[in-house]
Amino acid sequence: MKDLMQLQLPLGGDIMTTVRLTTGGICSLAGMDLDSSEDCKVCVTESLLLLLHAGYARAAVRFFDGEDGLRIEIAGMGTAADAVSAPEDEISEALLGALAARVSFEKRERLTGVIIEF
Amino acid sequence: MDEAELFTTYAATHDLALRNKIVERYLYIAEMLAKKFVGRGVEYDDLYQVASLALIKGVERFDPSQGVKFSTFITPTITGEIKNYFRDHSRLVHLPRRVNELKLGIRKAAEELAMETGKQPGAREIASRLGVSEEEVVSIAEAGAVVSLDSPAPESERGGDFHELVAAADDGEIEVMEQRDVLESAMKGLRPCERSVIEYRYLEGLSQTETARRLGVSQMYVSRLERKVLGKLRENLKKGMAE
Repeated sequence: MKDLMQLQLPLGGDIMTTVRLTTGGICSLAGMDLDSSEDCKVCVTESLLLLLHAGYARAAVRFFDGEDGLRIEIAGMGTAADAVSAPEDEISEALLGALAARVSFEKRERLTGVIIEF
Repeated sequence: MDEAELFTTYAATHDLALRNKIVERYLYIAEMLAKKFVGRGVEYDDLYQVASLALIKGVERFDPSQGVKFSTFITPTITGEIKNYFRDHSRLVHLPRRVNELKLGIRKAAEELAMETGKQPGAREIASRLGVSEEEVVSIAEAGAVVSLDSPAPESERGGDFHELVAAADDGEIEVMEQRDVLESAMKGLRPCERSVIEYRYLEGLSQTETARRLGVSQMYVSRLERKVLGKLRENLKKGMAE
């Protein structure tokens, strides 16, 4: 599995556009069509929102060129503050399940990371 | 009433007022999901409408005894409907941006000239107004049009329709064998999971959902992969024919 790129970023609204653009660029490099690339962008931003609600202020996003396509590992960084209970989280999780080929959530006491395969 | 009670009562009574109450309670999911797909060329209002209709259908179909929460059940349902809407409302023929712009320019110039002169302008006048060649105006005005296979084919010597220009599907076993050979060689370039999708879908005739279950992936992934693989096969076949 080839490591394509790694981002470390603060979790806030301002940075989401940059993350979406970066994800779109990587999807293009991976040969994905426009529709899949848009779905992938939604998955990455949803994962970051989930980590934000889990109390993280920063996250790391790693893109890999896997055997079956693109694999994205998104993990919270540093110590997490109190989690915010957001009712939309379960919808975000279901949306990730619907759009990605495979998705897994790493949870200890709270969500610590999301792995998406496209 | 909690979620299970609501749906159990609705399943037993089919009371329209209760259905509306359920839909109103979960309308926020339709709104939320519609917003996630904004910016892909379809207006938010249209997406919200599609999502709301999917929600109503989902309320009719949901079975609380399956042990799944309604939000978990309805999210893929709405997402699927939105994606189908994107698929069905995309242009049949995608034109390059310059062609699209020129096509709009031709329409605008034709309207302006008609207003100025009081008669319908010809290709030469439009070309002169836009600073492009007359030939370009004629060909771009036709670009993106969809032609029925039943319409008369202008180049057919026998005066038949487009159907007659398309090779008949049932031309004997030799052709089927040849097609199988070509397909086999086109499939050689596919990855194992891509081959599996084609085999399950087209040789075994499985649905996308069943294919997804067998491969341990989501249905939407199968849908995307299938489209991608068919595109790849088309390319491989074209290359094969060119060689």
